[in-house]
This record gives sequence, C-alpha cells and structure tokens, in this order.
Amino acid sequence: MTKSKSVGSGLLLLVIGGVVGYGIGLGLDAVITGKPNFSGSVAGLFALLASVTAFFFGVFGYRGITRGLTWQVAGTILGGLFVTAIRFLMGMRGSALFGGFFFSEPAWVFGALVGAVSFLFGVGAVDDWMKWARGLDTPDHHEDVPGWEKYLGVSLDHKVIGIQYTVTALVLISVGGLFALIFRTELAASQLQFLTSTFRLFNQTGPQIYNALMSLHGMVMIVSILLGIAGVMNYVVPLLLGAHDMAFPRMNAFAFWLAVPAAVLLLLSLILGGFETGWTGYPPLSSRGPVGVQMFFLGVFVAGWSSILGALNVLATVLRMRAKGMTAMRLPILVWASVATSIISLTATQLIGLSFQLVMFQRLLGMGFFDPAKGGNPVLFQHLFWFYSHPAVYVFVLHGLGVISELLPVFVRKPLFGYRWVAMSSLGIALVGFIVWAHHMFTSGMNEYLRVPFMYSTLLVAVPTGVKFFSWVATIWGGKIATPAPTPLLFTVGAIFVFLLGGLTGPPNATVSVDLHLHDTYFIVGHFHDTIFGGFVFPFFAALYYWFPKATGRRMNEFWGKVHFWLMTPSFLILTFGMMRIGLLGMRRRIVDYDTALGFDTTHLVLTICGFLIALSVLIFLINFFRSMKHGEVATGNVWNSRSPEWQVPSPMPAHNYGVPFEVVGEPYDYGLPGSKYIEFAPAQGKKH
Amino acid sequence: MTHTEDKKSMLSQGIYIFVYLALLTGLEFFVAVTFKSVALLILVAFVKAALVVYYYMHIYKLNAEHEGGHDSYEYKSGTNRLGLWLFLVSDTFVFGGLMVMRINLLGLTHPDLSQFLGLGVTSVLLISSFFMNRGETMIKNGDRKGFLNNTLITFILGLGFLIGVVFVEWRLAAHEGLIASFGDPAKGPVGAVFYMMTGMHAFHVLTGLIFLAIVWNNGRKGLYDEKHYPVEAAAVYWHFVDVVWIFFYPALYLIGAAII
Repeated sequence: MTKSKSVGSGLLLLVIGGVVGYGIGLGLDAVITGKPNFSGSVAGLFALLASVTAFFFGVFGYRGITRGLTWQVAGTILGGLFVTAIRFLMGMRGSALFGGFFFSEPAWVFGALVGAVSFLFGVGAVDDWMKWARGLDTPDHHEDVPGWEKYLGVSLDHKVIGIQYTVTALVLISVGGLFALIFRTELAASQLQFLTSTFRLFNQTGPQIYNALMSLHGMVMIVSILLGIAGVMNYVVPLLLGAHDMAFPRMNAFAFWLAVPAAVLLLLSLILGGFETGWTGYPPLSSRGPVGVQMFFLGVFVAGWSSILGALNVLATVLRMRAKGMTAMRLPILVWASVATSIISLTATQLIGLSFQLVMFQRLLGMGFFDPAKGGNPVLFQHLFWFYSHPAVYVFVLHGLGVISELLPVFVRKPLFGYRWVAMSSLGIALVGFIVWAHHMFTSGMNEYLRVPFMYSTLLVAVPTGVKFFSWVATIWGGKIATPAPTPLLFTVGAIFVFLLGGLTGPPNATVSVDLHLHDTYFIVGHFHDTIFGGFVFPFFAALYYWFPKATGRRMNEFWGKVHFWLMTPSFLILTFGMMRIGLLGMRRRIVDYDTALGFDTTHLVLTICGFLIALSVLIFLINFFRSMKHGEVATGNVWNSRSPEWQVPSPMPAHNYGVPFEVVGEPYDYGLPGSKYIEFAPAQGKKH
Repeated sequence: MTHTEDKKSMLSQGIYIFVYLALLTGLEFFVAVTFKSVALLILVAFVKAALVVYYYMHIYKLNAEHEGGHDSYEYKSGTNRLGLWLFLVSDTFVFGGLMVMRINLLGLTHPDLSQFLGLGVTSVLLISSFFMNRGETMIKNGDRKGFLNNTLITFILGLGFLIGVVFVEWRLAAHEGLIASFGDPAKGPVGAVFYMMTGMHAFHVLTGLIFLAIVWNNGRKGLYDEKHYPVEAAAVYWHFVDVVWIFFYPALYLIGAAII
C-alpha cells in the first residue's frame, strides 16, 4: 500500500466517520434531551472522535495510534458509564446522569482519565513495562520497520520520537493558529460580525465560542511549543552527546504518547461547552462553567506529565550518556539550554498540575480551596499556577536561545563569544525564573509588600539575558557571513531581533507602577508574542531548516524558505507593534468586542491581515517541509560545514547513531581556528552499540 | 556512623536508625502535647527525613563510581537510580505545593483528629520502612527468603497504614464534620485540606504497595538474586512515601491549635 493511496482512504474514512459519528451523536442527543440539536456538543463530539479514529484507520489499519485512539474512545465511554451507573445506584436520575454534554461532569472526568490511560495501553506504550512487572525480559532495542509506518506506532528510537514530537507540534501549531485566525477575523472590526449572540455551536453562543477559541489558542500553542522543544531535544541532544539513544527509551516513547490523548482532551474541551477562563483558568470563573473546563484541566495535566517525563529523560541522558571527554565546559550550548529547560519542566510543572487538580476537586466534591465563601483563597491558586506558568515561558525560550547560540557560530565561522558565560546564563535564567512568578499578580490583591521584591527579581532576569545578547552580537562582529544568507541563519538573526523587542518590552511590565496601567492590555499580548516568536518560533524554524537534512538526507527548498522568512517577519513585527500600540491606548485583552469610539478599527484590521499573512507563510513552510522529504535536493554530507559530531557522519542518521564512538578533544565552537578539532572518532575496531 | 556494606552491620545499622526515628517521633509527640514549639517540630521532622534519606534511601549511592562500560548492569542501574531520584524531586514539588496550600489556608491550626490514631498510623508506616530496609539488605546479600518475608511484612504494614487512613481516619473525620465542612463557611477549608493531603499521600502509598507486590512476586521467582536494582527502586520509593508522611504528620496532627 503506497502512502498517497492510504492517505486517500484515510480522508475518505474521515468523511464517512464524521458523518456516521455525527448521526450517532445526533440520535443520542435526541433520545436524551428530546429534540435533536444540530450544532450541539454530543453530535460534534461523536463526529470528531469517529472521524479522527477512522482517518488513522484508513491510513494505518488497526494498530499503533489507531488502536490507541479506539481504546481511548472505548475507555472514556466505559469509564463514564461506570460513574453513571454508580450515580444511578445512588439514586440519581434524569439530567444527573445524562444531559446536553452526554455524560454528567463526574462521569466525564473519570471517563476522560480512564480514556487517556486506555490510549497508552492501546497504542502499546506500556507493553514492555507490563512484561517487566510480570517478570518477563524484553530486548533492549526494538527494530523499527523501515519507511513512514514507524512514525504512527510506538518506536523507542529517539530520532523517530523526535520526529513524532515535531510533526505533532506542527499539527497543533496549525490548529492553534487556525483558532487565532477565527477570532482574529471577528476582531477585525468593532461590533460582533459572525460570532454573534445568536450564533450557536457546541451549546455555546458566538462570544462564548470566541472565549473558548481564545483560551484554547493559548493552551494548544503552549502544548505545541512544549512538543516542539521536546522534538528538537529528542532528536538532537543524544546526537550531540554521542549517545546511542536517550537514557530511558521506553519512558521517552511513553512521554510522547501521553501528548496525543492530551491533545484530544484539549480539543474535547471546545466541544463540551468550551471554557471561558483564558488559558490561566483562574477560579472562581473556572470553578463554574461547563464540563469543558474540566477537559481543559485534564488535558493540561496529561500534557504536563509528558513534559515532566521528557525533561527527566533529558537530564538523565545528559548526566549519564556523554561521549568520552565531553566535560561540562565542552558541552554544546544547546545541551546546556536543554538542561536549564528540563530543570524547570521537571519540577515546576507539578505545580500547575496540582493547582488544576485542586480546582477539579473543588468542582467535583465541593472542597473549598479557592472559594472564599468556604474559607478558601483564590489568590493561592494564582501563586500555585504562576509558580509553573512563569518559569514555563523560560522553558519555551531557553531552548530556542540555545538554538541561536548553537547555530550562530556555524554561519559566521567564528568561535562563540564567552562560551562559559552563555552556558551559565541559561542556568541563571532558569534559577532566577523560580522567584519571579508574582509579577503576574501585581493587580490581584496579593499583599502589597510582595510587589517590590518580585519587581526586582524580575528585572534581574534581564542580566543573564543580556549576557546572551552580548555574546550573540560579539559573535557576529567581524564574522564571515555567507551570502546569500542560508535560511537557518535568516531565522537565527530574525530570532535575535524579535527576541530583543520582546526583551525590551519586558521590564516596563515588571515595573509595578507601569504594570498597573498595562496589566491585561494588548501591550502584554504584543510583548509575549514577541518573546515567544523570538524565543521559540524563529529558533524552532531555524532548527527545522538546519537539522532537516540530518533527519531526511534532503534539504528543504531555499527559495521557499526565504519566502517564508520574508513574509513572516514583517507581518509579525507589524502585528505585535500594532498590538502594543492599541494596548497602550487602552485595548483590553481577551475580549470579543471593543467600542467603535476607541478608534481601533483600522489597527485591528491591519492586525488581522498580518495574522493571515503569517498563516500563509507557515502554510508555505508546511508544504515545503512535507514536499522536501521526498523531493528535496539530496544532501547527505556536512551541509552547513559544522564542527558538531552529528554532521561528521552521513545523513540520514542510521538507527543506532554513531557506528564508531567519538571522543571530545577540543572546544565545540572554535570555528575558523586553524587545526582545532572538536571530536575524534575512535579507531574502527571500537565497540558497536 | 558511616554507610557500610557487610550484611550484619547493615542490619544492625537499620535497627539503630529505626530506634533514632522512633525516639524522635516520641519527642515530636511530646513537644506537640506540651510546649508546642513549631520550630522544634520542624527541626525534628527534618532530622528524621535526613536519617531516612541517607541511611534507608542511601542517597550517597548517586555519587558512586561504576566499574565497566555504559552497557554494564552496574552503570545502567546507576542511570535508573538517577532517574528515580529525579522523579522523586519532581514529586516533592507536588507535596511541597500541598504544604504551601496547608500553610496558606490553615496557618497555625490543625484539624481536630484522633491523636492516638495519628501516632498509630505514623508508627505503622515507620515500622514498615524498617522492614523494607531489612528486606533490601537481605536480597543484596543473597538471602531470598529473608527478603520475601520482610517485604511481605512491609506490604502488610503498608496496607495497614492505608486502611488506617482511608477506612478509619477518613470515617472518623467525617463524623467530626470534616466532609460537611466542604460546604460550611464557618468551618473553613480544614476538611478540604485534610482530605486532599491525606488523599494524595494515600495514592502514593497505594502505588508503593503495587510496586512492593510486583517486586515480591518477581523475587519469589528468583529474578532478583543477581540483579537487585528493582528491589532497591521499590524500597527507595517506599521510603520516600515515608519521608512525605514525616512532614505531613506534624503538619496535620501536631502543629498549632486544633480546630474542626
């Protein structure tokens, strides 16, 4: 079966599954509520689940991800029915059992949890562990089938998992971007145009759908960023270290496959009534609202575990799997950045999981953690939440900043300026990041004496960040930049510029007096899009263009790469400048409508056009990405003339990486120094892993 | 007292440490019923935790140099050990977050619970840690039977703790009105905090029991006679659950004044 044929049958089944699922859902809804709701949650729910599962069935047959999704659906329904049966036995009837969202809320929460676990069993991510528990032995490595099919099932190879992560991240970026386009279109003019209060979808009105899409844009993008980072880390870090795989290959696969049910749960939140809280999910708003809030919490919780376990794996790999001679001060900067990122993910992520869990229990059992009427404290939620969610932005950017430092010396043919300082600045940002969280809460009503210390700790972040900028500028200074500049370099330099804007707009927000004015305005939105694009999106694209030949043995098209860059960068800059301008003038964030008299219509229209141009550029990238896998120019050698170990062997990388182990004999970034060497391969009799 | 390797001195070291822990728990209880010094209670908890982390969980092994290449069992066990400890660090943040919640919402008060039962379940968990340590020592010295017996005792004591908390303590607390306080503004969030903290801990005890059962069952088949890292992992996790309780016990039973 060829790929195009199977994708065709997948798409056919997608449509059939969607229609059949919609019909089933509509019928069930009619039975439960008495009249069919054509735009209701139940019909949409069954249509989504059936179509997605059917699509993968058509592409791949009943194995791997298809089996996982089928088990997830079955597990969710069985778990839900279990709780429903218990509630029935407890004497509840009617709408306490089934309603407009099919199950009741407790049944949904339990069912969704069972569903997510069932997915992992179905897809086969825990097979080996189950064998170990029964005392059976499994082989160290599982050989993958050649070709594309290994990407749709459980593989233990870190390179396969890296690509799985990356492609999933690109899918979610597209979904999150699509959400942004929808609500950006609504914002193009004042007043409500199509998301009106008569608009109905998934039991929500237009403004409610706006809120749900706006909130999901945030969270889907966050998850996609975490997956994108995990993708690059998984693929590149073991190669940079000279390891044959990650330290825990099974947990690596497990962490990736956790992300798939998490994504399903997040999408379910939109269908099951949505959530109007923004991505932050503050109570008391999140302790009300439909069951979609719970799906959002669960989705984030599961995605959080994916992030925690992935980070654990990276740390263990870096500490235990380095090649001979790779001392701490000879590690590639990207590895240092991955370590810094992973320290935050490993620890702080638990706090967002905990804070969301507490709200879940508050909703399910009436425990009053954050309910002042029951002696709880809503500000406590914000403390627990931001203890992760502020360091989380350093998770997003630190890795990207590492990519910049990694790529820059390759393209300017000069040693990285101040290696030690750059390496330590990543750790510095990560550690200072743990003590700045309350700068999100200057207007929250927390104790006022906390404001000033958090202001100063936040401003402190600028110091290690400044070290990085100083190093980049000094590295570029006097370098031999290739002309025409290759696409990865364009994105690297673009990242530096955009992140500079994001960085410079940060301190005003950290300053209490200014923040009281700027809080919750579009200025903040512009600021963090600058930091995230500069710290994640641009470096992520740079990394994809840079390591694409390593993964596929082909290059991405340079011309379309440049079109991508030159279309995205100006559109993006206009977008964020526009956001900051109207933010300063008083445009509130997260709202579906604004007063015509504010005079923001023209700016918003420009912002919307820029949003669509960015989407177009990403579409160009995606076409280029998938087309180049088959039709790109063949590139099996050291395409970028890099010193890094992974480029010293032909592309694409073989299954167990280096056939011959290497030893580190010099500094990683001594570009342009005659006779300097970073690594040396052992003589050929070296033991094969 | 430094760490030691031969069987006899390891077993007697386990006993010394257990005696210290028991004495410290007694001191803790005494402080709580007499002059209620919070600082002393915190200090005692940290000393107890340090004893368990060093002698029962042998954290120093993280530093060990391993003979042989990256593919040897020793080296791989070292990597697994590091992974387990990283996981425990991560898990500590969950319990730390719960502790922050408890301090924020309850301050210098604690739920009015049965002190007798609290001391009882605490002792049961502590004794189970002692037997876990014995079991681990025995399998490392090739004594499969001793390992199985001690692990079984640990399992039974752990089950006793779980039953004591979930089926006895939770019911008593419900009678005291702690569940009812979920919806009662006058009583504050004390019930919510109590059930959340003990519930999260009980969930970890439950997973620890599952690991113990797996290790016991596979040990019976002789799987760990040569390669005993899985036993060590289950033991370290079990002791970690004990360390969490070392902090949760004073936080829920001893510190401050009792309120409903």
